[in-house]
Amino acid sequence: MSLAVYLPLLLPVLLAAAARPLTTTAAPERAARALASAAVLSAAVSTASLVLLALTLLDDLPALEAREHTASFPLPEPVPGPLAAAAAAALAWAGWRCAAMLRRNRAVTRDLLAAGTAHDGLLVADLPEAHAVAVPAGIGRPGHVLVTAGLLRLLDRTERTAVLAHEEAHLRHRHHRTVAVAAAAAAVNPLLRPLARVVTLLVERSADEAAATAVGDRGVVARAIAKVALSGGDRPAGGLAAGGSDVVRRVDALTRPVAGRSRRATAGVTAVVITSATAGSTAVADFIAVARAWL
Amino acid sequence: MAALWAAGEPLSAAQLQAALDADLAYNTVQTILVRMHDKGLVERRTAGRGHVYWPARDAATAAAEQMRAVLDGPADRQAVLRRFANDLAEDDLAVLRALLHGERPT
Repeated sequence: MSLAVYLPLLLPVLLAAAARPLTTTAAPERAARALASAAVLSAAVSTASLVLLALTLLDDLPALEAREHTASFPLPEPVPGPLAAAAAAALAWAGWRCAAMLRRNRAVTRDLLAAGTAHDGLLVADLPEAHAVAVPAGIGRPGHVLVTAGLLRLLDRTERTAVLAHEEAHLRHRHHRTVAVAAAAAAVNPLLRPLARVVTLLVERSADEAAATAVGDRGVVARAIAKVALSGGDRPAGGLAAGGSDVVRRVDALTRPVAGRSRRATAGVTAVVITSATAGSTAVADFIAVARAWL
Repeated sequence: MAALWAAGEPLSAAQLQAALDADLAYNTVQTILVRMHDKGLVERRTAGRGHVYWPARDAATAAAEQMRAVLDGPADRQAVLRRFANDLAEDDLAVLRALLHGERPT
């Protein structure tokens, strides 16, 4: 079996590194979607690799051992047994993590829906802290924005409009899906986690730019984000991102002039996606060859 | 609705019209308020020649309890929320303040 089978397991790291610069470009929406797709592709390829490695366990079955000598197809060089076993374990773990992540997503949406019925797409919660969340649409139900009284009091008129426009952009572009797809890919392959974080940042950037267009002023959006963040209402218990949080990146991006599309960054991501796909298809081709040899 | 909440005190239709970003006629604002009152979303009392309005608390209090439950829930659930501005580390406070005041950190 060629080395190609191991490659897709590592490429996600390169993908995330190549994707970072995209967060400051002017087309965050497109970048988010492209990266979420790349994450899925990458997860699929790495899963295929694991399946392939795990299936080599069956090599050791006596029947196949015997077959190996008579097979018209020469079997690819063997994969170490413990490695194949590890691959099988990783597969089971990935499936479990992915299911857990989807279950968690559903639970949060259900909890948010239980907060009440929105009128004109808005539901106010009488809490002093500043929070705003987009509650995604479901079957036969439009999405709405859940916002606290604290946030509405904290911000002035245009900043309020900006926050609502930001959340509505999340709903309009179905960002929860883009993020969930990337998160599912990251659940399958933990190496994709940095990439999933970039996707999350990109959808925020997309919503920020949509809000900026709505109020006609990027500075207002930057101010609204900073005010809410500094109010401490929206601070989670544990810090996540090292080397500057998403909030800082967003405010920074909004206070800079609109950046043109970074062709180099786009090219970098494209290259990694293509390499990943190629390595993946090589691995899958290997797998088909093995499968045919067995049958 | 957001403007009524933001005010934190009862507003007349004219005051609300002034507080709104949208370019709405006084009559439109008045009509919306009456309709929201019929739905039980806002409460009102007579003040001078007209009414002043404020948001009804019941729905918002119920929503608050539920939202609090989600926010205080397990960290992995919080991570699912697409909140407006989250994920702020301690070191970021200074950077953010500087950005707000137009300085660019080096």
